Amino acid sequence: MRTNYRINSGVRFKMLSQDQLQELFDGVLHVLEKIGLDVHHDEARDILKKAGAWVEGNRVRIPPYLVKRSLEMAPRSFTIYARDGNPEHNIHIGPGRAHFGPGPTPPNFTDVETLERRPYIKDDARIVATVVDALPNIDFCESLGTVSDVHPDLSASYEFAEMFPHTSKPIVAWSFGWDDSNDIHQIAVAEAGGQEAFEKRPNYVHYCEPLSPLVSTFEAIDKLIFAARYRIPLIFTPCPLAGGTAPVTAAGIIIQAAAESWMGLVLAQAIQPGLPFFMGGVLSVMDMSAMILSYGAPELSLMMAGATELAHYAGIPLWQTGGCTDSKILDEQAAIEGSLSCFFSALTGGDLCHDVGYTESGITGSILQTVMMDEAIGYSRRITRGIEVNQDTLATDVIHSVGPDGDYLNEEHTKKHSKTEFWYPNLCDRHNFEEWEEAGQKPMRDRVVERTKGILSSHKPSPIKPETEKAIKAIMEAAEKRVQNKP
Amino acid sequence: MSEVLNSISAAVIQGQKDDIANLTHDALGKELSARDILYKGLMPGMDYVGEKFKIGDMFVPEVMRSARTMANSMEILKPLLSETGVEMVGRVLLGTVKGDLHDIGKNLVAMMCEGAGFEVKDLGINVEPEAFVEAIKEFEPHIVGMSALLTTTMRSMGDTLKAFEEAGLRNRVKVMIGGAPVTNSFAEKIGADGYAPDAAAASDVAKKFMEPG
Repeated sequence: MRTNYRINSGVRFKMLSQDQLQELFDGVLHVLEKIGLDVHHDEARDILKKAGAWVEGNRVRIPPYLVKRSLEMAPRSFTIYARDGNPEHNIHIGPGRAHFGPGPTPPNFTDVETLERRPYIKDDARIVATVVDALPNIDFCESLGTVSDVHPDLSASYEFAEMFPHTSKPIVAWSFGWDDSNDIHQIAVAEAGGQEAFEKRPNYVHYCEPLSPLVSTFEAIDKLIFAARYRIPLIFTPCPLAGGTAPVTAAGIIIQAAAESWMGLVLAQAIQPGLPFFMGGVLSVMDMSAMILSYGAPELSLMMAGATELAHYAGIPLWQTGGCTDSKILDEQAAIEGSLSCFFSALTGGDLCHDVGYTESGITGSILQTVMMDEAIGYSRRITRGIEVNQDTLATDVIHSVGPDGDYLNEEHTKKHSKTEFWYPNLCDRHNFEEWEEAGQKPMRDRVVERTKGILSSHKPSPIKPETEKAIKAIMEAAEKRVQNKP
Repeated sequence: MSEVLNSISAAVIQGQKDDIANLTHDALGKELSARDILYKGLMPGMDYVGEKFKIGDMFVPEVMRSARTMANSMEILKPLLSETGVEMVGRVLLGTVKGDLHDIGKNLVAMMCEGAGFEVKDLGINVEPEAFVEAIKEFEPHIVGMSALLTTTMRSMGDTLKAFEEAGLRNRVKVMIGGAPVTNSFAEKIGADGYAPDAAAASDVAKKFMEPG
């Protein structure tokens, strides 16, 4: 019998010490207590005031005890459920579990047929959802675009209505405000079997984005209130630019982003105690030459790692970022930037890692990038799974029986473990030259496109209930009526 | 004389924003005209900064500092310039449109335009169409620049243009628009005169608007 035996079952990455994390934590409390945020929402300020915040005009400051109490109320571990009950598509949020998915709202999309950049249309939401549903290492769905070929007020509603039937993986829903949030929620609730059933098994996550520096916009807060009222798991994620809309230093931007996100946390917990809440923040640098928010910078991964450690120190999950690139096409730059950020994100165990498939610094969504990153995530996950050490894996018996000058191919031990010990690629080519030549000498990007088209022509996501289909039709008809007289 | 002007150019390039007032007064004391200080001292300095920025040898914070340095000198020169009837390159009115609170891109445009010798008035964020209209009447800009980051607020750009038309001001100004989701075809669709994908391009578009013909 072993005693006091310690197991590391995966690769453990840790950057900041407890002392450093406490300093970051105190920094966030300081910003919220002494500086506060401008909250552009009357009702929200009233709720916050009643909860114990100090309100002067639009400015809301929050005492540290209230922040700590709100952190205490929010769960560290919970489950987002697949709409069809498929346990493999459930997402269990908790320590040491990194999940991946695309991101919301780029105006453009890389056409899967022509490979050209063009405005994002409704059918792209179907394409993205179908491919996401099939990819083994992509866990949740976002649309990778803003639907441009419908009434602008309904683009988020159509986006969700298109995605929902085409994947049973949980969706992170983006919306403009109350009305389209409600369209989305009605669809999800119809499938769940009513509001009460939804609350027991939430099948999507709601996404809101405040403004940096230190502004809670009306839309972000209104959407937060909607999510809190209906018990929808919530992401509250600012997008600060280091050196532009946030301090240039990694520690500084982490503190500011956390303060921006935790204002949402305090409000959400005041409305709905115990609401699952993801701390957010896409933290990266403003490139001081190109004047863009860089999605391929090493600082993005580094800052996100710091934010992840702070969130986990504070006891809440984090909305991570990775698999994205500043490249305009599916090329070597996209592969380098996307793969490294996926790997680093996987190491941090950041809970939901989004923007897998962002190209052109978030201006163009590319499902091809997502497909290529599925491979990088699989690769990363093999590494983070680590090395198992036990009597069987140490294999001294096998080494003994094979001895010098033998081989392991015929060993039962090899047969038993080769499927799980080894990771097998879907896209990376390991054939010899002649085989590769015979298969058409395809470079990586051709294999990515081929796999994407293959999924689209063959994959059949599990269907939604017939009554949900009817509900979607009715919800979208009502939505069209709502905007028929608006330009 | 050229030594004094050179030191003004150098001060702009190095971003000596606290020294530029003294240098400007010195130059005026040596009988240099405000016009010469602007066109032979400040502008060549800013042109150099612009070139260095384009090739990646200077970065935004340094360019910002140079622009601030130039602006500090302009505060002294402006009354003298208008006394002698010397025109600035042009006047640019800027704002982030109604419903949108994002302003860093617009601030960069302001900086780049100031550096290019324009007089810039920045209306800030969440600017109502009526506020643009009032400011056009007051400030009489040659160019109006509108910014939006959100696909929802992009629509305010069209509304603002309509307000210009209704007020009979549309032909008095050139309009350029920008912001992450904004495209050339959107600019054409709503009837703007120009589109810029980034701040450096915006000042180029503004300069083009001012070319005769």
